[in-house]
Amino acid sequence: MNEFDVVIGLEVHVQLKTKSKIFCSCSTEFESPPNTNICPICCGYPGVLPVLNKKALELAIRVAIALNCNINREIYFERKNYFYPDLPKNYQISQYKMPIGFDGFLELLSGKAIKIKRVHLEEDAGKLIHKENYSLVDFNRTGIPLLEIVSEPVISSPYEASEYLNYLKLTLQYIDASDCDMEKGFLRCDANISLKPKDATKLGTKVEIKNMNTFRGVVDALEYEIKRQESLLMNKKEIIQETRLWNKDLSKTISMRTKEEAHDYRYFPEPDLPDFFITDKMLEEQKKFIVEKPQEKRKRFIEQYNLSYKEVDIMISDLWLSNFFEKAISFYNRPKEISNWLLGPFLEKYNSLKDKDKIKISPENFSKIVKYFCEDKLNNLTAKTVLDLCITTNADVDDVILKEGLSQVSLEDELIKFIDEIIKENPKAISEYLNGKKEAIMFLVGCVMKKTNKKANPKVAKELLERRINEKSH
Amino acid sequence: MGNINLINLSGFEIAKNIRENLITSKEVYQFFYNRIKELDSKLNSFIEVYEEAERKPDGDSQLKGLPIAIKDNICIKGKKITCASKILANHISVYDATVIKKLKEAGLKIIGTTNMDEFAFGSSTENSCYFTTKNPWNTKKVPGGSSGGSAAAVALRLVPFALGSDTGGSIRQPASFCGVVGFKPTYGLVSRYGLIAFASSLDQIGPITTNFIDCAYLLNIISGKDKNDSTSADIEKIDFTKYLNEDIKGLKIGIPKEYFKEGLDKEIKESLKEVIEVFKKNGAIILDINLPHTEYAVATYYILASSEASSNLARYDGIKYGFRKEEDSLSKLYTSTRRDGFGLEAKRRIFLGTFSLSSGYYDAYYLRALKVRTLIRLDFENAFKEVDAILTPTSPTPAFDIGEKIDDPLSMYLSDIYTIPANLAGLPAVSFPCGFTKNNLPIGAQLIGKEFCDGILIRLGFSYQCKTDYHKRIPEL
Amino acid sequence: MVDRKTVEYIANLSKIETSEEESYFLSTQLSKILDYIDKLKELDVKDVKPIRHFYLKNNVYREDVVENYNLNKEILKNSPKSLENFFKIPNVL
Repeated sequence: MNEFDVVIGLEVHVQLKTKSKIFCSCSTEFESPPNTNICPICCGYPGVLPVLNKKALELAIRVAIALNCNINREIYFERKNYFYPDLPKNYQISQYKMPIGFDGFLELLSGKAIKIKRVHLEEDAGKLIHKENYSLVDFNRTGIPLLEIVSEPVISSPYEASEYLNYLKLTLQYIDASDCDMEKGFLRCDANISLKPKDATKLGTKVEIKNMNTFRGVVDALEYEIKRQESLLMNKKEIIQETRLWNKDLSKTISMRTKEEAHDYRYFPEPDLPDFFITDKMLEEQKKFIVEKPQEKRKRFIEQYNLSYKEVDIMISDLWLSNFFEKAISFYNRPKEISNWLLGPFLEKYNSLKDKDKIKISPENFSKIVKYFCEDKLNNLTAKTVLDLCITTNADVDDVILKEGLSQVSLEDELIKFIDEIIKENPKAISEYLNGKKEAIMFLVGCVMKKTNKKANPKVAKELLERRINEKSH
Repeated sequence: MGNINLINLSGFEIAKNIRENLITSKEVYQFFYNRIKELDSKLNSFIEVYEEAERKPDGDSQLKGLPIAIKDNICIKGKKITCASKILANHISVYDATVIKKLKEAGLKIIGTTNMDEFAFGSSTENSCYFTTKNPWNTKKVPGGSSGGSAAAVALRLVPFALGSDTGGSIRQPASFCGVVGFKPTYGLVSRYGLIAFASSLDQIGPITTNFIDCAYLLNIISGKDKNDSTSADIEKIDFTKYLNEDIKGLKIGIPKEYFKEGLDKEIKESLKEVIEVFKKNGAIILDINLPHTEYAVATYYILASSEASSNLARYDGIKYGFRKEEDSLSKLYTSTRRDGFGLEAKRRIFLGTFSLSSGYYDAYYLRALKVRTLIRLDFENAFKEVDAILTPTSPTPAFDIGEKIDDPLSMYLSDIYTIPANLAGLPAVSFPCGFTKNNLPIGAQLIGKEFCDGILIRLGFSYQCKTDYHKRIPEL
Repeated sequence: MVDRKTVEYIANLSKIETSEEESYFLSTQLSKILDYIDKLKELDVKDVKPIRHFYLKNNVYREDVVENYNLNKEILKNSPKSLENFFKIPNVL
């Protein structure tokens, strides 16, 4: 491993977040029944013509800005000609000589800037299902707007590759350009990898790796491929320039074995579409969507809020969550406690609801719950109850506490009678406690909680129990 | 109906009679339908003829109620549209082209589809997978192409007018061979949505009529910006009937010497001299102009048009629609379907185009041709600083014999030498009848105009037809 | 200039099967046509900027709105070979 430098370039395709396809008005809805989101245009019928989706262009500009690219102010589309059944026109409308963005970069946490060669728009192909003796074609996905993002071959390890992908994904999610869900196929990644002897200037033979369908898969595939190439080189064998597919089940990359002729795509400018002029106004409009970068947010969260890396990473992986966090803090400035509650009970509920839109509770209301907990007005259990009641309704926290009678009972005189009852009812536990089994107190605390419908302040209850038991035993 | 002689009236006049209740739309349709059934077997200009036509009773055009024939490459929903190619055999279109929608809205009735060269590749209508259409003036001659069926049908008055398409002269050249008016609008004036593409940057749909009045009214119906066609021009709607005005005093007409060199038939040359005289007598000013890059037009055109065509025709693969040759492997499915489905000229163009775009040849052929196209366009821009229209012959020869050029593709391509430049420059151009050879074959003259000044051509043509009657002659079969 | 081998290469790119005879025939015809087209080499086009569109000066696009064309049944029906709601083709692999 130490003899060679690893050189990785990544080619990522992301589906842009539009309602309709790039050149026709068919829906981009995910997982519709086969061949239902189709029309003559995306099926390549005779006589049809493409019309560009304005939103696709806007999102492409937005991404190019977010990735620090130079923007080509006059762009045009080109036809990439090749035959394949998932490509109804047998050409793909894409960009070649004049991509929207070029020479950009994405910064990793180490400060290393991964150069981005180009960012361009193109249409997606359909889906093929392979059976034993035949194949089936579904054109639902044909014409979905894609953005192709190509990095320079400057990534030096599988770890760096996964960090690049993660921050690319977050960047695009933050600016609402794409959902980047790799499981759904909204983000696809191919890699080019080669090894070169340390200090050599000439790059080694590069191998293309495809079919890495998860972030984990990318790391595993690259790690495997490094070992494979290393072993060949150490044994003075040649690396064949080829395309290999990652096989998750076998945990190895497998050569595609088909004779890969260099494709002659015969690119030429798309005559059915005009040139597009990217005006200052368009750039200004898209710049409004450029928010704080995920890397910057991460740095700031760690410095400003003194949270752990783990906590921060969870928060920045969801812009909505981190925004909620900061808003809540503006009402109750206790970052650690807000974070605990946000990443604990709140996140649990959030994940189980699956739909962000179902969360109705305001950051202000949420912060109130945390505040009452910290002020001992609610205990752990009652706070959770209030959260459950308010999270999908945004009911006023104070109203709920009043209505449900959830105020924590902390006053000694109120609690004392419950304490005495519990002591009377549980002689066995009392004697166990007195005999040295200290954990028995927790059982008794539990009983108090039960008796008070969870409203007792457990800390106070424990203290009182201990005092009372000791008093009574003397 | 009795007193009305439908074949001698313009479409506009017939429609007027319908409005004045002298005849019904149904009777008109029946008349032309019967005439087609009676005479078309001698011409073979129609592929499909519809016994009935749907009609929108509240159309608002002055041509309302009239039948029209449509070239077989313009999509009509629910009808067989095949581009005269086996590869689209029995293909039923699932949508209407924009121009078809507009015709239906205007109250016109589509009476059938007309024969053409396969995928519009050709200048004689001999490349159809069905049959060759004959020239109504002499059935041993070609009607021209690729809109030969439309031109022949209109010439013989089987239908008052028709739509054709023009990529390198496919409306104008058959119009001149058949003695009718064939108009190619400015590129982008008429929507291409639903026109089965040959060369996207050159194709335009246009009317084929017997006179300029019908031409103007039809242009009014079919022109206009279309949101489904990104290349359609974003300009205010023009009323072309306002140009039906005889007064051409002061209009400057340019005569380019490059179009009158050797290779031009003597009789056609003489005929054009007469046209010049008619325009002069009516007050137009005649000027000599130069279009120095004319000789490069055919070469430029064939590279660009074939390149675009090779890509536009890639979609015909037997998977989604049309003809399919069943095979065991995908690869063979493609190659057998396309081998059996495309005719020879189609294959030739696809190969030429693929070659011009292929790696190593793109710069020398495609890119170079694109640059020469710019030079040709600049020639016209310079000329239009001096003149309002340019007058040329439409074709170097009158209609040639069936079979005469079919084995010599280069010779066939060169017959488009006068029509191609207007397509390359995106300019409007029209061919109109201006005489006959001693063998009674029609001669056509061509006017080329500045972009979006299609109206000037109408005015010039209309004034010419007020003074002559070549356009009123009907062939006797 | 366009030899048989080139014709075969082009035939493969354009996915049209041609017999040996046809390849030979097409190579002679294409050579003749390309000889004529070489005329274009007479011109000096070094400084000419190719214009892709003459008249389109404004951006042309459509709003991101979904429209249901309701033509899926017809489109599937038009397919020479379909299976349930898919287009059927011989095995790709």
